[in-house]
Amino acid sequence: MSLAFIRPFSSSVIAQKVGCAMVKPVHHTIKIEKRLLSPRFPDLKLDPSDIRSPKFRPRLTQQDRVLDHYYNTLESDLLLIQYRHDQIDVEGNKRRKWDMSSPYHLNRPLRKPRGQIVPSPTIKTRTWKNIPRLENITINCFVKEAKIKPELAIAATLQLQQITGCKPSPVYAKANVPTWKLRPGMRMGARVSLSGSDASQFLTTLTEIVLPRIREFRGISNRSGDRYGNIAFGLRPEDIKVFPEIENNQDSWPKTFGMDITLHTSAQTDADARILLSGLGFPFTGGERVPKTLLNDLKIEDENVNDVVTKNSETRAEA
Amino acid sequence: MLFGIKNLRGVIPRSNSVCRIQQCRLKRSKAGLSPEAQKVVSQLSVLSAGRKMPRLIKLCNEDYVKHRTIMKAWSLERKNKIEQQKITLKKQYESMKKASEDLKFASPKLFTIANEHEYGKRFPLEIRIPTDYPPRQLWYYNYVPRQKK
Repeated sequence: MSLAFIRPFSSSVIAQKVGCAMVKPVHHTIKIEKRLLSPRFPDLKLDPSDIRSPKFRPRLTQQDRVLDHYYNTLESDLLLIQYRHDQIDVEGNKRRKWDMSSPYHLNRPLRKPRGQIVPSPTIKTRTWKNIPRLENITINCFVKEAKIKPELAIAATLQLQQITGCKPSPVYAKANVPTWKLRPGMRMGARVSLSGSDASQFLTTLTEIVLPRIREFRGISNRSGDRYGNIAFGLRPEDIKVFPEIENNQDSWPKTFGMDITLHTSAQTDADARILLSGLGFPFTGGERVPKTLLNDLKIEDENVNDVVTKNSETRAEA
Repeated sequence: MLFGIKNLRGVIPRSNSVCRIQQCRLKRSKAGLSPEAQKVVSQLSVLSAGRKMPRLIKLCNEDYVKHRTIMKAWSLERKNKIEQQKITLKKQYESMKKASEDLKFASPKLFTIANEHEYGKRFPLEIRIPTDYPPRQLWYYNYVPRQKK
């Protein structure tokens, strides 16, 4: 008899009463992985880090000398170089509130930041927790001639794979430009994102073998960067021939393709990223511009303010 | 692979009528391709992931337990190392902070000089990422650093 009154989750039908369920219907919000419930394929339930899993890939198979160099030498030096006492956060350009002069301002999404569309991040003070690191390297190879000769895009992909040892993903044209005979969906080149030991390997070949042997290379421009700690530079088709994988197999590479290399760091500003990259062996040239807001990031002390006030009053008295 | 074939329609010559009648898909010979098309085909075969997956290792239970124990121990060691590193950095940070605070009271003039930002500072170009073996020439005794203009 009592069984009839047991009410299941989130329904009041069996109780034969009008009203809503008191138990919240959680079973809609919690995602259930059915493969874990099913007893059918035990191999598929294993974690990819488990060696019995078909998805297992060995990681950390070799010593990473770039990482070792970073931890042994660069990290503490970077903290020493970039530390400033009494530093304060530099507030980014954020979305602005409406002035509520109109009733339609209520619940309206915030105004765009002044002078830009996307808000810029706040630059946090330097502590031992946010020392810049090299996160990954992205190589982008876009071949203009591939719109006429589609096989060049394949050759560019292979070139990237040979240089990096990682599988590149194809890049397709997005824009429709009839005068250039460019249509969306055309395969135009390849892109690869390297991280971990692959990135270190590529970085060392770049700084130790390739860049020193490029005649015209004077260094990465100090003006390069996306303001938020990612530095990019380009290599021309003739520079690619210096890579050992290409150089030792010159017959197979009658044509090489230039590429853009982006060094993604966890630095908050480009200036910090450049200091880190110089430690990893990248030379820099040209004049550097640092935004004024970054230079004035010190806390203004009350005593100094008082000094300034007294000085002003003194000057006034003299006048 | 499909995209390549689609785009390569102009490059790979259509098979002649005899072959079309026979429809011998499995015995397609590569000899009929032009050298350029052959090159593209070989490039695509290098790029494709077919038959590059290593075989799954079959471990007996004892080996599996051994493997797990070793991996666990190693991960613990790495974790301890990282924690040690963090503690060192934290100590450095705190002592820097303390030293700056002291200097501020001792000599405000020196403090402002010490506390200037160092944007534009670079590690020397001669810095090398250490290798397993030393270089052939250990030290350049006659080295003179290039003068800044």
